Order: sequence, then structure tokens, then C-alpha cells
Amino acid sequence: MNGNEHERAIELITRRDVEGIGRSEAGWLESHLAVCSECVGFAEALSGTERAVRSVSVMASATLVSATRARVHARAEQLREQQARTMLIGVSFCLGVLTSTLTAWVWWKCGAWVAQRLGLPAGIVEPGVLLFWVLPAVAIAVMMVLVPPVKFEGSILQRFLHERMGGMQ
Amino acid sequence: MVAATFSTLMTMETEEAQIAAGLRRRDPDVLDALIEQYQHRLLRYLAHMTGNQATAEDLFQETWIRVLEKGHQYDGKSKFSTWLMTIAHNVAIDHLRKRTPASLDEMRDTEDAAPFEPPAKGPSPFEQAAASEDRRRIQAALEQIPAIFREVLVLRFQEQMKLEEIARLVGIPLATVKTRLYRGVLALRPALVGHG
Repeated sequence: MNGNEHERAIELITRRDVEGIGRSEAGWLESHLAVCSECVGFAEALSGTERAVRSVSVMASATLVSATRARVHARAEQLREQQARTMLIGVSFCLGVLTSTLTAWVWWKCGAWVAQRLGLPAGIVEPGVLLFWVLPAVAIAVMMVLVPPVKFEGSILQRFLHERMGGMQ
Repeated sequence: MVAATFSTLMTMETEEAQIAAGLRRRDPDVLDALIEQYQHRLLRYLAHMTGNQATAEDLFQETWIRVLEKGHQYDGKSKFSTWLMTIAHNVAIDHLRKRTPASLDEMRDTEDAAPFEPPAKGPSPFEQAAASEDRRRIQAALEQIPAIFREVLVLRFQEQMKLEEIARLVGIPLATVKTRLYRGVLALRPALVGHG
């Protein structure tokens, strides 16, 4: 008997219960086990391990399950809120870009008109218009960095409705 | 026979696809149902991985939070149970790495050897005591073997997973799974004398 046979036998013993083995393989294994005490020992150890591992009972308590559900629901709500905020920021950003692009030409022309009326040099007016144009965005960005985010108790919509209803009362 | 197999596969595919759709929507009803369905399997796996009931319960909650957060990554093409166990494996590994960064092989928790909850009903007080003693011995033996062997043994014998599935879940080659299973069985062998 050589090492390859033992290796094959161990492979088949390992696979026969879960994956299953073919009839010819089962026949070969049976004949091998009839003469190999080493592989019989491994087969016994394997089935003993299976019984032993299965005998250890671990049950989740009802308290654990309900606590987990509560945590998962709270986190789901938090994620939904985050998603809504991201969406809101995204829409605001798009609208901001759109209005800025559309009004840029108007501001530029306005600046040129003011410069012409007051007789100011273009070197002062052009950076001024540019600064005036980007100032709101810079101010908002600075505020977002410096002011900590507001923690909402409920969803944005709920909070909005609550405030509206409160204001009406 | 073929029709029945096909029908089973289709049912499974539909079920997994429904789970995937529910997870993408972060549907609380789907999550509740999944927690209910996999509660004992998941906790058992984590308890074996950590060797500590309290830690396993913490990781149990952490796993479901991660399922919620990463639910969109589940495509419904593979079995949900395998995906869930992969998440649990990663959660447990992260936890074990934080505790003992040196080696995963040496990770054992000996500080809390509280026995796991026994089954609710047993034959007689004497048999119960004997069985309970047996379980304690086996549990202690399981805790003594390295976590990497214990994990493979649990996935194989409690979850009835195929070797290829275990390899995918743990992220190791098939040959390594076989070696760990073989070495795990041999490591547990002395504790099994007189058991069963």
C-alpha cells in the first residue's frame, strides 16, 4: 500500500458525507478500509468529530434577536437619512452650478457696465466681479467645515413637517 | 427527478433574488425575516470562532449591521447563507485581529469559559449531567485547537458546507481547507476517546 492510496482514501472519507462519492469510489474505499487500520482510525475520528461538533448547542436568545432587530432598524433609518441628505446636497449642488453658469454672463456684463460708468480700470473690476461671483460658495463651504453637522432625531421630511406644524401652532 | 431538481434550483434562485432585492431596498421586513431564519446558525458559528458567548453576541449584532450596510453587494447569484457566513467570518477576523494582532492561530479566549446554552429538554437528570459533562469536555477541546482549524470543522460539520464553499468563504485554497480539516480532526481526536 502506498501513500497515494492513503491520500485518496482520506480524500474520499472527507467527501463522502457532504459532497457524496460515486459507487466505484465507494467500493474502492470499502476495500481499502478493510485492510488499512490507519484510514479506519481517521474515518472514526472524522465521524466522532462530526458528532462532537454537532453536540455543542448554541441558541440565540429572544432578547438578542430583538436587540439586533432594533439596532438594525435604527441603523437603516440612519442610512436612509444620510441618503436623503446626500441627495439634497447633490440637487443643491447641481442647481447652484446651473444658476451660477447662467448668471455668470449677466454679472460679467454688469461689472463691465459699472466699470464703464465709474471709469474703473479692468484690472480691478474683473477680479472684483469674479470674487463677488464665487464669494457665496466660499462662505457656505467655510461654514460647512466650521459648523458641526446637525443631528436629526427623525427623517428630514419628518423634521421639516414637525417644524412647519409647530410654526403654525 | 430532473424536473424536481430544476424546480428546486429555480425556487432557490427566486428566493435568493428576492433577498438581494430586499437588501438593496434595506427592507426591514426582509432583514427581520433573515435574522429570524439564520439566528442560531450565525450565533453558533461566531461562538465557535471566538470561543466566547458574550463576544459572539456582540459580533452577531455587528454582522447584521454589516449585512444592512453591504446588502447592495449581494447579487443573489450565490447562496445567501454562504454570503452571510463570509460577512460573519470577516467580522470575526477583524475582531480577533484587534485583540491579538500577532497570530490568528493563537487566538483563544480562556477568560470566559461559560458553557453554551444547553438544549431545553433532556432525557434524565443523570443522562443530562453526563451529556452536559461530555459537551463541556468537547467544548473545551474545541477551544483548545487553533481558531483556523475550529472554523473549518464548524463550517463542515455544523453548516454541512462543501469544501469548495468553505474555501471561497474563508478565502483560502481548497488544498488548505483539506489540510485544516485533516489537522483539526486529528487535533480533536484525543478528546473524543470515549465519546459517542
